[in-house]
Amino acid sequence: MHTGHYISGGAHGLLIVWALFGGMFRSDPPQLEIADVSVISEAEFAAMMRPQVAPPPVEEPEALPQPEIEDAAPEPPVPETQPEPRPEPAEPEAAAPDPVPDPVLPTPEPETSDVAPQPPAPEPVPDVEAPDIALRPIPRPAPRVAPEAVPEPEPDAEVAPEVQETVERSETPDVTDAEEQQATSPEAATTEIVTEAEDPARAPTASMRPQVRPNRPAPEATAAAPEAATPAPEEPAPQAPAPTEDATASAIAGALEEALSGSPSGTGDGPPLTEAETDGFRIAVQDCWVVDVGSQAANVTVTVGFDMDRSGQVVGASLRMLSSEGGTGSAAETAFQAARRAILRCQGDGYNLPPEKFDQWKRVEMTFNPESMRIR
Amino acid sequence: MKQFLASFLAVMVLALSAPMTALAQGGPLRIEITEGVVEPLPYAVPNFVAESAGAQELAQQIARVVAEDLTGTGLFREVPREAHISQITSFGSPVQFADWKAINAQALITGAVSQEGGRVVVKFRVWDVFAGTELGQGMQFAGTPEGWRRMAHKVADQVYSRITGESGYFDSRVVFVSESGPKDQRSKRLAVMDYDGANLQYLTGGNALVLAPRFSDDGQRVLYTSYETGLPRVHVLEVGTVQSRILQGQDGVMSFAPRFAPNGQTVVYSLTQGSNTDIWAMDIAGGGTRQLTSAPSIETAPSYSPDGSQIVFESDRSGTQQLYVMSANGGEARRISFGQGRYSTPVWSPRGDMIAFTKQNAGRFHIGVMRTDGSEERLLTASFLDEGPTWAPNGRVIMFARETQGAQGSSSLYTVDISGRNLKRVRTPEGASDPSWGPLQ
Repeated sequence: MHTGHYISGGAHGLLIVWALFGGMFRSDPPQLEIADVSVISEAEFAAMMRPQVAPPPVEEPEALPQPEIEDAAPEPPVPETQPEPRPEPAEPEAAAPDPVPDPVLPTPEPETSDVAPQPPAPEPVPDVEAPDIALRPIPRPAPRVAPEAVPEPEPDAEVAPEVQETVERSETPDVTDAEEQQATSPEAATTEIVTEAEDPARAPTASMRPQVRPNRPAPEATAAAPEAATPAPEEPAPQAPAPTEDATASAIAGALEEALSGSPSGTGDGPPLTEAETDGFRIAVQDCWVVDVGSQAANVTVTVGFDMDRSGQVVGASLRMLSSEGGTGSAAETAFQAARRAILRCQGDGYNLPPEKFDQWKRVEMTFNPESMRIR
Repeated sequence: MKQFLASFLAVMVLALSAPMTALAQGGPLRIEITEGVVEPLPYAVPNFVAESAGAQELAQQIARVVAEDLTGTGLFREVPREAHISQITSFGSPVQFADWKAINAQALITGAVSQEGGRVVVKFRVWDVFAGTELGQGMQFAGTPEGWRRMAHKVADQVYSRITGESGYFDSRVVFVSESGPKDQRSKRLAVMDYDGANLQYLTGGNALVLAPRFSDDGQRVLYTSYETGLPRVHVLEVGTVQSRILQGQDGVMSFAPRFAPNGQTVVYSLTQGSNTDIWAMDIAGGGTRQLTSAPSIETAPSYSPDGSQIVFESDRSGTQQLYVMSANGGEARRISFGQGRYSTPVWSPRGDMIAFTKQNAGRFHIGVMRTDGSEERLLTASFLDEGPTWAPNGRVIMFARETQGAQGSSSLYTVDISGRNLKRVRTPEGASDPSWGPLQ
């Protein structure tokens, strides 16, 4: 009876000792080996030599696009004036590569590429792309810069000697677009109500109640159900529950059986949805869930069931209220209508769910719980 | 040893297979959503179709009032007509839902107006755009051309009800005290208007000071306090005939703060005898009175619960003005307000779940609400002087009077949603105070 305890204790002790001192032993050797690095240093030295040789590729970009752009466009004046009012690296980049082809270039260029997206005209596009390809560090900037810089040929150095002006002009056309978007996306949207009686600057007197954690499928419960049957697909599993015969053992046996025999029902084939995929789905719907916090429907938690097709669109006729909790019948119906509108309105051309996991999301049960938003 | 090995292996296998088990379940994907957005619901109201020659202007006006009613609640936002893609040219033609989805209108209201002789008919439908279905069934109202605003309000009430699941409050009236002149020489008259300030009518002249008018639950009578005889007296006024009479005449006493019981047959009010003020009830038909409180302190501002079983009132029996609830027959009262400051003018919500009140604290006035047991107190407004809350017939909105500071300060009416949102002023031609919101007509 105690044998197991002794073995377990011993094993844990060894584990703790290993965890405590194993790391120490590891950490020491590297220090000692550092002395041996001299051997490795040769290889590294060779490697170091290569990057030094690298400058030539840097020279290439200089020759390739930059001179052309400089000649063609009056970029140089722009960067000169721009850096003064605004320290935007975008234009300095263009200027920098031209005069200074040396290794110093690589560092300023990526910076500019990051910031560049907005102001630089189409001209920078070839410029920035060239260094990106030549310089190993940043693949990201290239895609960013390329698409955004293209539509902005207008705010060249000629028109806008000052950085601010260029920014303004680039924003103004956007403003009109933004206004149109505002018409569709309500400005009054909020998740918090501040009444006139509440001082906006005042610190909250009470902390928000923590959000309710979504219910998990609770595999334990299902695991506990199949207990007695021990089909024994493998040796250790059946042996363990048989001798002990207590509840824990039977639960373990059940879980083992279920795990080893595959999914409990037929539709569970295929890879499961990741947490990120599930969260993305949830967030897409909750962005369209309009809660009237002062209404009776805000007291109702409603569960809606629906089916989806492979394109991620909801089968409209399948939308149904599975259950409701709290409130009157009419309030539950109103809560259901709000939930239904949220599901339908935000689907667009279909929710962004992985088609290969269609079996996992073809049927959905979504619970809308307004408890955390309710007026208290 | 074997047991240990078996258990160890079992636990390891279980640990490795647990996530697979959880994710490989065959049931539906279950997701719980606990966060939504608080924003007005976008809707579209194209001009109503004029089905007779002279109804063009009326059709436009009615559609505008419907839109103003809905947008004014703060719960809805109209998609501008300039953004409409398709036009409604016939009341019976099918709706192109895709066009309304494209402009993100979640609800669509279509209607038609016809006018023949002295009779106007307004019909309408409400559509759930994203579901592609009609909300409820089509309906029509008929009336005189002069009553077109009421018909528009009725359409808006129906739309509101079908979308929110709660009754509306647009086809209702408010009785209040209309004020004119400077503070030291202010003339006060009783007036009644639509909830939105339209169709204002005066009920009394400006020769006597009037205070605190209160609608009966059927909207046919108004109780108010008048200084016509020098002392405050409770009057009752028939709205239809504009005839008033003193409800109680007893020399040497002051009676004020009257309010109808839900049955319309009983009135509660305050009566001051000497230095003591208590709450009394009177049967309107028989004239019999009975005293409901007998404390040596000041008890006033009684208000019935919707079922008529309880009365909330204010009292300074604890040293400061606080709110108390007692049976409608009097007896022991329990205090429900315990916050800092002074509470007054409590009013029971038509829903029965909340009590609105005026609160004075730290030099400012607030309109607030609390549960009927005093819990969940929430202040909705704050200003130099806010007072006299009254509930909309659906218990969703509160109207009150706000007075500005200074000798030239004036009083005006405001409404606020019980969530504290959508605070806005009610249009009145003159100063206004002491509002009392009547029932849905």
